[in-house]
Amino acid sequence: MRREFRFWAPCASVVLAALLAACGGGGDGDQNPRVSYGKLVSFGDSLSDVGSYRVGAIAQLGGGEYSINGSTGVNWTELLAASAHVAAPCAAQTGLQSTIPSIPAVAVVNHAGCFGYGQGGARVTDPIGIGNAALPAPQLGQLTDPVKNQILRHLAASGGAFAADDLVTVMAGGNDVFANLGALQQGLTPTQAVTAMATAGGELGAYVKSLIVANGAKHVVVVNLPDVSQTPFAYALDQPTQGLINTMVQQFNAQLAAGVAATPEVLLVDAYTQGRDQNARPANYALTNVTTPACDLTKTALPTSLVCTASTLVAGDVSGYEFADTVHPTPFGYSLLARFVAENMIKNGWL
Amino acid sequence: MMTKTFTMNRPTETLLMKLSLVTGATLAAALISGTAHAQSAGNWSISLGANNIAPKVKSGDLSAPSLPGTKIDVKDASAGFVTFTYMLTDQVALQTFLGGPYKHDIVGAGAIDGVGKIGEVRQVSPTVIAQYRFLEADAALRPYVGLGVTYAYFFKEKGSGTLTALTNPGGAPTRVDADNAWGVSPQLGVVYAFNQRWFADLSVIKTYIKNTTHLSTGQSIDAKLDPLSVGLTVGYRF
Repeated sequence: MRREFRFWAPCASVVLAALLAACGGGGDGDQNPRVSYGKLVSFGDSLSDVGSYRVGAIAQLGGGEYSINGSTGVNWTELLAASAHVAAPCAAQTGLQSTIPSIPAVAVVNHAGCFGYGQGGARVTDPIGIGNAALPAPQLGQLTDPVKNQILRHLAASGGAFAADDLVTVMAGGNDVFANLGALQQGLTPTQAVTAMATAGGELGAYVKSLIVANGAKHVVVVNLPDVSQTPFAYALDQPTQGLINTMVQQFNAQLAAGVAATPEVLLVDAYTQGRDQNARPANYALTNVTTPACDLTKTALPTSLVCTASTLVAGDVSGYEFADTVHPTPFGYSLLARFVAENMIKNGWL
Repeated sequence: MMTKTFTMNRPTETLLMKLSLVTGATLAAALISGTAHAQSAGNWSISLGANNIAPKVKSGDLSAPSLPGTKIDVKDASAGFVTFTYMLTDQVALQTFLGGPYKHDIVGAGAIDGVGKIGEVRQVSPTVIAQYRFLEADAALRPYVGLGVTYAYFFKEKGSGTLTALTNPGGAPTRVDADNAWGVSPQLGVVYAFNQRWFADLSVIKTYIKNTTHLSTGQSIDAKLDPLSVGLTVGYRF
């Protein structure tokens, strides 16, 4: 009997150990990224703008980002910063050079320690972007410092070099599409518009290599241009123009890809293909609307998501909408982009 | 004999792990004496050893919002385990498997193949098996077949920064909760009797089992786990 008891004891203890272990709950697990980053430095346009124009009347309207503004109204760069465990980016430069009488201009201020350089309306090289005060009035007076200048400003503020632990993001090209489409009215031919986009894509690739990588950045995430022909903006245009837009985007992306090819410090993220997939299979992404804006642009003070908030939305549940206005994503749309960028970075060992 | 008994009494998982095949086989070999004796009706036996569980996952897709074709794989895990066997007749045995906990890594597959570890889960999967043992009760080498029932209990699930970045960027860390499940477990094995008391038992079990894993984001994923378990024990017959 005694021997039997001794043999049964291990059984009881194994079961006990299992049950005790079972009592402990689960957990978050290791949330740290695989690469330790110091900060996020982002260059681009409205898609990366974290509040360049959140001043004066725009701020009073509760706006500042090109989405549905509010506590969750952040773009993909801010979400990526959270995933990379670095501080949320703040706007490196703020101001508004409005020529709209009802919207006062606000002085341009540079903010040391802020590395969110993306500005709504910014182009790759041309300093006169969408909404720039140099265009015929009235204009909102977006600063539209082009990506090239954004990078140069950062270098000037950072001793001429990137830190090795910087996470750098670059995403631009949309405003070159809009500007070249506008130029069609002034005699630019479609062929010239496509060529101009190819040139812009090549320039952006060159800036990434010669201004960012060559100056010490080790982790540069370049997100290519989503298909602007699949936006509410394009859906309002005729079919040939939509086709032209698609060609312009593809040429831009092709030259951008060629420009950053075979550069290990650069991770090119194909947002173009991903966006088209989201459009083709919205249910997989929990998207309920990929064609019309979530913001009611007749309610907003300006016809842009820059001043869209929860109080200026269309009726109904917009949580599954892709677009906030005619071109910019909702917070959920940005979240999908952030997930896709993160997935690419993780596969590359960068996150 | 009593000394050996006392050693095996220690109630730690570590000991079970240590009592793996090399140690166990050496121990058993040292104790070989006389002829093999019966695995006959009414006998009880206990055996201790190590077991490897290798899931052969067929994953469904993670529910929306996710990249279409987002799947998972589950890596193998090893742990100590103990079996208790009762011979109903000279041929038919009832065996209970208790082991673990086994800690499995969950990795991305399908559309997210290459992202590596996205989480982990611990499990214990007690199994009760009815076996038919071939050859005579006193044969030294007795192959057997079995069919059993397994209950997989999953616990201490953990997420990761990767999982959060892919499912809830900028938000709270994504939590993981794997449903417990029942499975059916056919078994092949062989018992080698060193002597009338001591034996070694090699067992291969295929468990057909599927479950659903839930994320705190509201997403879920179904998967057939269908693990193959290979265990080697050294046992003592009363």
